[in-house]
Amino acid sequence: MTGTVAVKFYGLMRRRVGTTGLDVPADDVTVLALLRLAEESAGRAFLDELLDREQGLLAGTIILVNGENVRGGDGLRTRVRAGDKVDLFSPAGGG
Amino acid sequence: MNGWTGKIVKVDLGRGTQEDVPVSDAARRRYLGGRGLGVRLYADLCPVLTDPLAEENALLFMTGPLTGTLMTSGRTQVISRSPLTGTICDSSSGGSFGAALKGAGIDGLVVQGRAPKPVYLRIHEGGVEVRDAAAFWGLDTQQTQKGLQEEAGGKASVACIGPAGENRVPFAAIMNDKDRAAGRGGLGAVMGAKNLKAVAASGSRPVDIADPAGYKDLASRVDRAVDKNPVTGKSLQVLGTSVLVNIINAHGMYPTENFRRGVFNDAEGTSGEKIAETLLLRQSSCFKCPIGCGRTTRTKDKHGEGPEYETVWAFGANLGISDLAAIAEANYACNELGLDTITMGGTLGCAMELAEAGAWPGGPRWGEAGKLADWVTETAHRRGMGAELALGSKRLAAKYGRPELAMQVKGMEIPAYDPRGAQGMALSYATSNRGGCHMRAYLVAPEVLGHPVFLDRFSTAGKAELVALFQDVSAVVDSAVLCRFLQFAVGISTFAEMLRVVTGLDFGDEELMSVGRRVYTLERLFNNRAGFGRADDTLPPRFFNEEFQTGSSRHRRVRLEEMLDDYYAVRGWDRDGRPRPHTLAELGL
Repeated sequence: MTGTVAVKFYGLMRRRVGTTGLDVPADDVTVLALLRLAEESAGRAFLDELLDREQGLLAGTIILVNGENVRGGDGLRTRVRAGDKVDLFSPAGGG
Repeated sequence: MNGWTGKIVKVDLGRGTQEDVPVSDAARRRYLGGRGLGVRLYADLCPVLTDPLAEENALLFMTGPLTGTLMTSGRTQVISRSPLTGTICDSSSGGSFGAALKGAGIDGLVVQGRAPKPVYLRIHEGGVEVRDAAAFWGLDTQQTQKGLQEEAGGKASVACIGPAGENRVPFAAIMNDKDRAAGRGGLGAVMGAKNLKAVAASGSRPVDIADPAGYKDLASRVDRAVDKNPVTGKSLQVLGTSVLVNIINAHGMYPTENFRRGVFNDAEGTSGEKIAETLLLRQSSCFKCPIGCGRTTRTKDKHGEGPEYETVWAFGANLGISDLAAIAEANYACNELGLDTITMGGTLGCAMELAEAGAWPGGPRWGEAGKLADWVTETAHRRGMGAELALGSKRLAAKYGRPELAMQVKGMEIPAYDPRGAQGMALSYATSNRGGCHMRAYLVAPEVLGHPVFLDRFSTAGKAELVALFQDVSAVVDSAVLCRFLQFAVGISTFAEMLRVVTGLDFGDEELMSVGRRVYTLERLFNNRAGFGRADDTLPPRFFNEEFQTGSSRHRRVRLEEMLDDYYAVRGWDRDGRPRPHTLAELGL
């Protein structure tokens, strides 16, 4: 049986998805694949908050896998395993 | 004259005199206005080091060439020597007070001397008048603003102090346009020491624009850029600055209980998302600002402005408090009494650790949300426990024999980003000309938010150059004078274009960056003269010696020594942090 990845939504995306988080059934998939699965689980489209038209990460988007920014690793190709925690932040700023 | 009015008025409250301060075209080109020209004039007006609270100390309220023109141009820069740090200090405030000064026909106001009794300054197109403020002394900032607006027929924008400034608390703020604050550095105490309760300004003189067609075109382009940008066009509007709470916490660098941990378990309960669901009444905006990051909020019993990110943290995670209403009410109290929320919270965090360590047995305890607003009030009036809290963290920790427990740089409390989670931010804090401040060089942008590019936050490589660059750009924006949040949407070339269409002067990126470098170096020269050098470009020992055990910044320490020499080299300063003669010659200093 496949385990789940805990996906958490923050900022504007949370309003879009309508929940703070989902447990998405997935194991050993890329972040991009996980995001598509999460969109399916949520039943609401939200990827345009994170990705541009070429399916690249929008400037300012933060995706953390177990607290590590995927931009410092393999980006959307970063592998995610069951039991991991993924935090999704739409572009934000402050001071 | 395009952009500037060309008039800066100096009022001596002791002598009862007024005169214009001459400023050459060359000086305007080299320092612009705001922070840059303000620091230049301060250095000229106070050639001998003065006690910040002495009569001869100068206090400047400055606008810039862009004030009163494009979006976000209502801001004011206040400049003096800080009673909190002893460094040169400029404090920036939003609202519309800057636009009102410019509308009255002046680029800036210099105040020296001490009035024999409380006064306020009424500035209008006819000039500057010194008026009796006896009836306002002792009132809070909201009552004062309301009263002075009534006296001015409802038209004035008022900058004033509350009881904290009157009582010369070294982190007293100057409040304007209700709840906008020139918060950091305690310049409200400088006003109090001059017996100056307020400045009320009004006027509708338009700013002369060099290239009206170019101005119109640029204004709509900047408007589009700000609207299209997801930070300025969406996130800041809907969720305000506190959207950062969850982000910084998830990076394990959200300072908790006086920077002893980097993860606050109840961050979610004090987040921007939570504020939007619970306390938020509406967003609020400064002069000509389409962003509207301000939050007008209410609790069960009160209403007011805030809390914004720094304040949520200062009275929240930093003190082990997750009661959002108590945090908001402490924020309202700071606004009313005129106190800097960051230093107030930083000092309380230090006090709580002193109490827990047994160094200050009577001190405040972690998590006591119900006492927050009372501690703020006592501090503003220097009574009860507040008599001690009014020292600020550095003096308080020294008094109780544990100086290492004050989380400060050069006497100013460090804000809501733990430097162990971002090495560039560590260098930024250490080399800030006004002490522990995130606004000199906001390296959180690239190191955490990925703006304008994503950088490895734990690497020290290249950070020296970047910190110097960010410091220089910030100095330009503070001198122009506009809001820093515009930087999420536009870069230095756009600021140069703004200056060209408004003033007619073609700066170009390079010359503009040299303005920033000149301002930063001039500030450094003042600090050197005031005794600050390499030994002060550092952080509390906690950041070098202690590691977090949990969160994604665990097992990290600040590696300042890997960056500091490079930083001095980039700046053209010697190993003691003093600008070299050739650097001064290059910048014309």
